[in-house]
Amino acid sequence: MEKHEGDTPRTELIAGLTAIPGSAPVEQRGDGLWISAPELDVEAMAREMKALGCRLVTMTGMARDHGETAIIYHYVLGHETINFKTSTRGGAIASLAPITHPASWIEREIHDFFGAEFIGHPNLAPLLRPAEVKQGFFREPEPGSKPPTQ
Amino acid sequence: MPFTIPVGPYHPALEEPFKVSVRCVAETVEQVSVEVGFSFRAIELLAQRSEWVPDVTLIERVCGICSNVHAMTFCRAAERIAGIDVPKRALYIRTIIAELERVHSHLLWAGLAAEYMGFQTLFMEIFTLREQVMDLLETISGNRVNYGMNRIGGVNRDIADPKAAIATVQAMAKVIENDVVPAFMTSTTAKARMTGVGPLSKEDVIAWGVVGPVARASGLDIDVRNDHPHLAYQELGFKSVTQPEGDVRARVVVRALELLESIRLITEALRNLPPGPLRAFEGMPSIPPGEAIALTEAPRGEVFYYVASDGGRTPARVKIRTPSFVNIPALEAMTVGQQLGDISLIQASLDPCLSCTDR
Repeated sequence: MEKHEGDTPRTELIAGLTAIPGSAPVEQRGDGLWISAPELDVEAMAREMKALGCRLVTMTGMARDHGETAIIYHYVLGHETINFKTSTRGGAIASLAPITHPASWIEREIHDFFGAEFIGHPNLAPLLRPAEVKQGFFREPEPGSKPPTQ
Repeated sequence: MPFTIPVGPYHPALEEPFKVSVRCVAETVEQVSVEVGFSFRAIELLAQRSEWVPDVTLIERVCGICSNVHAMTFCRAAERIAGIDVPKRALYIRTIIAELERVHSHLLWAGLAAEYMGFQTLFMEIFTLREQVMDLLETISGNRVNYGMNRIGGVNRDIADPKAAIATVQAMAKVIENDVVPAFMTSTTAKARMTGVGPLSKEDVIAWGVVGPVARASGLDIDVRNDHPHLAYQELGFKSVTQPEGDVRARVVVRALELLESIRLITEALRNLPPGPLRAFEGMPSIPPGEAIALTEAPRGEVFYYVASDGGRTPARVKIRTPSFVNIPALEAMTVGQQLGDISLIQASLDPCLSCTDR
C-alpha cells in the first residue's frame, strides 16, 4: 500500500536507503534525496523501494564512455523524491520489469535510445524507435557538431 | 475460440495513433496489448542539440493540449539548476495558465467522453465551453494552443485585465456547475453507460504506477499540487478530488469536479495577483553545470523532467516522463474481463495522449 512521507521519518528513510546493497551516502538537495552508487544492486533496491511504498516515476539514461549508460532511478514517496544514480556494467544491468510493472516500458525506451541491455526483461522489443533508426541513436553525435556529453 | 481484433493505429475510436490488440472469447476481452511510437519525434534528443531558449519553444510542442505544462516544467528544472528565484507575480500567472490549460484539457476530454457515450447534446454544450476557455487563453497569450507564456526566469506576458478574466471563468463555472457536472453525475444515460466499466483497483493503480485523475478515481490521493508544492498552490489552498469506485464513471466525476476546483484556483489567483516583475532577469539565461528534477501536475497527471547542464549552450540531457506514458500500460489491467464494445470508452477514460507518450 502507499505510504507518505509522514509514515517514514526522513532519517529512518535515509538509513534504509543507505542499507541497500551497493548503496552510498545520501545527498540531501532541494529537489530530493540523491544517491550516487556505481555498484548498486538495483534488484535489491527495487524490492526495498517497493516494500517502503515508493513509486517508480521513471529512469533516466545517459550515454557514458565505452558503451556504458548511466541510469538514474527516480522514485516518489509522498512528498519525497529519491534518485539513485548508477551505471550499466559491460553495457547491461538487471531489469526491474519482473519486480515492478512501470519499469517495462521505461527499460524498452532506454534500450531504444542508448542500446543498454536489461537482463531478465521479458520483451525488449522497440517501444518508440522507428524501424529505420539504429538502436542506441542517442549516442550518435550530431553531424558536424561537438561529441555527446560524456 | 479466441480471436484477436487490432484497433488502430489509425481508427475512428482513437483520437491519436496507437494500436490496441484485443484478444476476445466471444465478446469478453481476455488479453490486451498496446503498441505506441507512431508519433515519435525524438524531442529529447533535439532538445540536447538546441540552445536553452529555443528549447522552451521546442518542448512546448511535446503536446498540443498540455503544451504549457511542458515548457513550464522544463523552465522550472533549469531555474533550479541555476538557482533562479522566479518573481511571485510570474508564479501566479504560471498557476493561472496551468489551471486554464487543465480546464481546456478536461473539457476537451469530457466532450469526447460524451460523444463516445452517444450523448451528442452534452458534447456540443461542452465544446462551446471549450471555445470560451480557448478564447480566454488567446486573449491572455495571443495563442490558442502553444501559449508561449514561459521563459527561464519567469513569464513572457502579463495578464492585462484580471477582472475581465474573472468574469469569463465565473460565467463558465455556472454552466459547468449547473449543466456539465450534473449531466455526468446524475444522468441515467451516463450512469448506465459508465458505472462498473473498466475497473481499476487502488492496488492496481499502485502496482502499475498510474498517476493523475485515473489514480484519484481509484481512491489514491496523489497530486503534485499537494505532494510537491510549487507555483502558488499552497497559498491558494488547493484541494484534491478523489473517488473510490475506480471505474469509468469515477474518472469522469473526478475530472468534472476538478474543473470546479481549477476555476476556483484561477479566480483566487486572479483576485490576488501580486504586483511586481514578470521575470527574474532580462536577456539570455546562463545555466551552470548541474542537474535537477521538476514535477508538475499536468491535466493527465504527474509530468516529470530531469535536466542536466554541463554549463554549455545546450542542455546535456533532457528527460521527459509524461503521465500517459505510465497510464496507458494499465489499460491491460482495466480491460481484461470487460466487453469488447466498451474498449473505446475504457481507453478514452484514460485520456491518453500519444503525442506526449511518443515525444
